[in-house]
Amino acid sequence: MHHTNFPGLAALVLTSACIANLSRADDASPSFRNDVMAVLSKSGCNQGTCHGNANGKGGLKLSLRGQNPESDYITLSRESAARRVTPLSPADSLLLQKPSMQIPHEGGRRFPPGSSEYKILQNWIANGLPKDDDTSAIVVSLKVTPSQKTLHFPENSVSLLATATFSDGSTRDVTSLTVFGSSATFVSITDTGVATADQPGLTTIVARYLNQQVPVRLEFVPERPDFEFKTPKATNFIDEAVFAQLKRLKTNPADVCDDSTFLRRVYLDLTGLLPTIEQAKAFIESPEPNKRSKLIDTLLASEEFNDFQTLRWADLLRVEEKTLDATGVEVYHNWIRTSVAEDKPLNTFVAELIAARGSTYKVPPTNFFRALRTPEERSEAAAQVFLGIRLQCAKCHNHPFDRWTQDDYYAWSNFFARVDYEIVENKRRDKSDKHEFSGEQIVKISEKGDVKNPTTNEIAGLRFLGSGNVNAPEDKTGGDPSPDRLEQLATWISDPENDRFSTTQANRIWAQLMGQGIVDPIDDFRSTNPPSNPELLNALRDEFVSHNFSTRHLIRVIMNSTTYQLSSTPNTTNAHNNGTFARTELRRLTAEQTLDAIAQLLNVSAEFGGHKSGTKAVQLKGVRNGGFRYSKPEIGDQFLTLFGKPDRLQTCECERTNETTLAQTFEMVSGELISQLLATSGNRIDQCLATDQSDTDTINQLFWAALSRSPNAQEIDALVKHVNQQEDKRDAFEDIVWTLLNSNEFLLRR
Amino acid sequence: MIFSQKLAAAAAINRRDMLRIGGPGMLGLTLPKLLQAEDAPVVAHAPKRKAKSVIFLFQWGGPSHVDTFDMKLNAPEEYRTKYAPISTSVPGMHICEHLPETAKVMHKIAQIRTVHHTMNNHNSAGYTALTGVQPAIDDQRLRDSLDLFPAFGSVVDKVAPNTNQLPTFVSFPHTISDGSTTPGQRASFLGKIHDPLFIPNDPNDANFELSQLSLPSDVSLGRLGNRRELQKIINSQARQLDQSAAAQGLNAYYEKAISMLNSKQVRDAFDISKEPTELRDAYGRTTYGQGCLLARRLVESGVKFVTVYFSRSIGGRSKTEGGWDTHGFDDTRMYEILPEFHLPITDHTLPVLLNDLDTRGMLDETLVMWFGEFGRTPKINKSISRDHWPKCYTALLAGGGTIGGSVYGESDKYGAFPDRDPVTTGDLAATMYHAMGIDHSIEVKDNFNRPLPIANGRPVTDIFA
Repeated sequence: MHHTNFPGLAALVLTSACIANLSRADDASPSFRNDVMAVLSKSGCNQGTCHGNANGKGGLKLSLRGQNPESDYITLSRESAARRVTPLSPADSLLLQKPSMQIPHEGGRRFPPGSSEYKILQNWIANGLPKDDDTSAIVVSLKVTPSQKTLHFPENSVSLLATATFSDGSTRDVTSLTVFGSSATFVSITDTGVATADQPGLTTIVARYLNQQVPVRLEFVPERPDFEFKTPKATNFIDEAVFAQLKRLKTNPADVCDDSTFLRRVYLDLTGLLPTIEQAKAFIESPEPNKRSKLIDTLLASEEFNDFQTLRWADLLRVEEKTLDATGVEVYHNWIRTSVAEDKPLNTFVAELIAARGSTYKVPPTNFFRALRTPEERSEAAAQVFLGIRLQCAKCHNHPFDRWTQDDYYAWSNFFARVDYEIVENKRRDKSDKHEFSGEQIVKISEKGDVKNPTTNEIAGLRFLGSGNVNAPEDKTGGDPSPDRLEQLATWISDPENDRFSTTQANRIWAQLMGQGIVDPIDDFRSTNPPSNPELLNALRDEFVSHNFSTRHLIRVIMNSTTYQLSSTPNTTNAHNNGTFARTELRRLTAEQTLDAIAQLLNVSAEFGGHKSGTKAVQLKGVRNGGFRYSKPEIGDQFLTLFGKPDRLQTCECERTNETTLAQTFEMVSGELISQLLATSGNRIDQCLATDQSDTDTINQLFWAALSRSPNAQEIDALVKHVNQQEDKRDAFEDIVWTLLNSNEFLLRR
Repeated sequence: MIFSQKLAAAAAINRRDMLRIGGPGMLGLTLPKLLQAEDAPVVAHAPKRKAKSVIFLFQWGGPSHVDTFDMKLNAPEEYRTKYAPISTSVPGMHICEHLPETAKVMHKIAQIRTVHHTMNNHNSAGYTALTGVQPAIDDQRLRDSLDLFPAFGSVVDKVAPNTNQLPTFVSFPHTISDGSTTPGQRASFLGKIHDPLFIPNDPNDANFELSQLSLPSDVSLGRLGNRRELQKIINSQARQLDQSAAAQGLNAYYEKAISMLNSKQVRDAFDISKEPTELRDAYGRTTYGQGCLLARRLVESGVKFVTVYFSRSIGGRSKTEGGWDTHGFDDTRMYEILPEFHLPITDHTLPVLLNDLDTRGMLDETLVMWFGEFGRTPKINKSISRDHWPKCYTALLAGGGTIGGSVYGESDKYGAFPDRDPVTTGDLAATMYHAMGIDHSIEVKDNFNRPLPIANGRPVTDIFA
């Protein structure tokens, strides 16, 4: 018994009274840390929406998700004149009366009187609010069985058992104290750990007991008694991994898509552009059996591929003018593009970014650090882009859904603490704007400087994320050893043995082509967000590493798989294809793709500020952040912003948005850019009208330019009729082009 | 499901589920409904809803609190306003002599005189006032990036969207900036679908119309109808595609856009020329005045949140344009400028708007908010003007269930610091949500999936009846 917070005599009396009243099983006092805190979590008391809110609720503030048992102990036992707990009469305690709704509680009834939760709290109060001391056992691990399971409908329910292991070696069934949550809405889970699915599908249950979290992967397979797996042709290891999972899930993949769909898909994915009429016809008409592989190879070797792949990295690496300035954007973009063009191994590419130092004009990768001005920005960006870890939460508190502690955060940030800038020149136009830099800078590493962990106020260690040992045990007051900490980091990150890096990058390349990561979001790797198909992810990573981190190679392998070439048309078994890649998910074209496709259809170009006429949207180097203060954005820039081109102020794919909005629809229906390009004299409509070809030929040509196919009979009928009904032929063809560029087939990548 | 699991389930509606449910194009249409459904238990204890709509009159530049509504008449001369006080419709309450019409409606206005924060620069302070959230640093050129908090109206669109034909959130007629665009005017990490319908056009312009609702001159509604029919024919060819969730999502947006273009209700809502000439005159033939009238018209038609920006720039040096940033620079003088421009405009709009709402029986269900990003220094500066002062200033709230004539919080004798009942911008945000019947502790997720309460503060419930 611990009576540290209670007058000895009263406690003694009370304790003996309680022991007399309680059954033997209830005899042992609950542990505050292991039982009471678990009840508070299980009952939802310490959620952000309730008492875990930064301001608390109804005058009671608990630590968010129970991350600080010490302060919660004081809150519950001492604050508010200790009226929350009444050891002399436990049932009168607010801590029991409120959640059991014996007196009004805004949060409703969390548990009834007499429930196990109630008894734990009551018993703890009655025992005199014992506090755990240094010798008390603390939880060291949590195991949930089964850890994964495949269930076959009609069996749609599974009981999970949570067992905790404590520091004294003891183990205990903590199922009733464990919080269970499902990643999918079609699976519900009870207090007692029974997960039930309304429909087949995949889900991850996350079980949480105190600071331990464990994922449980569940597959619910539909009944489908007559199911027959139509074994499609597996082209490579990707198909083997995908089809094995689909077979297990009694799901047939979609058919392989037709040539026209494949053609558009490959062009959009590799170049961001539509095929020209000539390119489209040549491919469709070619009788060659391996023409798909050949097209992939041709496009991978094209300049357009270099443009489009560079755009992706330019987004992530914050290639924008305000901080890098125009010269910086130019040299940095060129460096990325050269790296893409020569297929520089991705680990080398990243190592060069991290270890770069020197002039931002002469050593282009130094712009990585020029864009990221503080150790925290650098470390968060590196974790997110290179390792798929969202570390941001751990800046202020231990990460609630992941293993990272605040200590990990600062020990990682410390790698970036000594990056320094020699500002050779700064001709910023706006003296008040600390983000604006115009002029050369030298990125260098200073001799000293470390980050401090603000909680301990001590200099942070130096530890690679996910590696247990503190590296580089140099004297913190002296300089870095040679090689310095960033060079060591570059070596560590690019090591082929570094699974985190290679897996993250392989998954990113997969998501770029498939529209969804195997781990998704692609920068959120954690045990509680497991891959939808681990075998597939591992195989992709191995392929990537064994081929020297070649982006082109991995793209080629993925695109040659049957899985990549599946159609988007669902069959009876794969309509709810969630993360299984059983068919192709439709997605809207990106901002640049949309604009370039419209311009290509009309055979005109849109204007972008700071670029020469005729530049394609996918070729734009920066985003002219800040530049628009001095010159209005051109019509093309406005369109791209509206459709989700990122400002490149965050190091996150999430900054680019592909959602459809009403404002975009207005732009497509009646907006300035569409109207202007339709009206531009000399555009494709005028070019067609200038010939003596028939209206049908013109319609045919517009279809090939827009959709890479001929119109069918019904379309021809309707459109010819439309042309004949209009007084003005140009008006009529404007209507037809409007129709094409607003069609689903045009706007969706399928 | 018990409560906590329901919460967990709501929190777990991730992107994959959304795709499964509606496809990318449907996100905008399904998300709010889903959240509504799953959030239901959370808002079970939400405050009783009074305000159906909010009109937020944002006073860019920072009006002087001590020369308008919190005059310190007993302060030493170097602090004291140079304007005379006049009595108001609330016994014992005095306001600035240049607000005589406003004085007549003070019994309809609640004041919070202790709003405070720590941001001294326009952009960081503006962001704080527009979102209720303070940025990490007081940055004069705070960059408008997706890690910053969304505008009030965007949050409303996310957690309690309109279900009628009209947009939830409309803002006009300026995008405010000071060197760079002021953050807090759009949806940020909530996604572009929650951006305001922004009207860049001048409602005082004789040919004012909503640019989104106006077709190019050579495209009639009939011609648009023809195009739409052709579009349907082409879409129907790829039948499987047309039936996909993604295509249906796109289609839903086309339906909505075209129905808005065709809708008399929608066109009327924005058609300010339908207002009687006398009323238009009463609001004042200014961009801001007609903007206030448009706000009332929109709210009446069913828009939930309208933000009217007083000016595009922080201003302060001109008697004919700009905001409230009256430092006295370049030999301009605050005491000369305000009575020529800012105060008369205010006096011709705020009381007219409140009376107009009242006459129509709408005041009780419309919360009107009037404040800027900060107040101004209690001590008069060398240029006989005042500089930035975020440590204590006044916000006006009227209607929406607030108690007219009430005053919450008290500043010290200089108007420099809260003496009693300090109110943060987070509290101010919570108060607004409270008025709308939205639980201010509802959480939204940022781009890193971090749950953030929509307001970091507590509602000032004392000003509500």
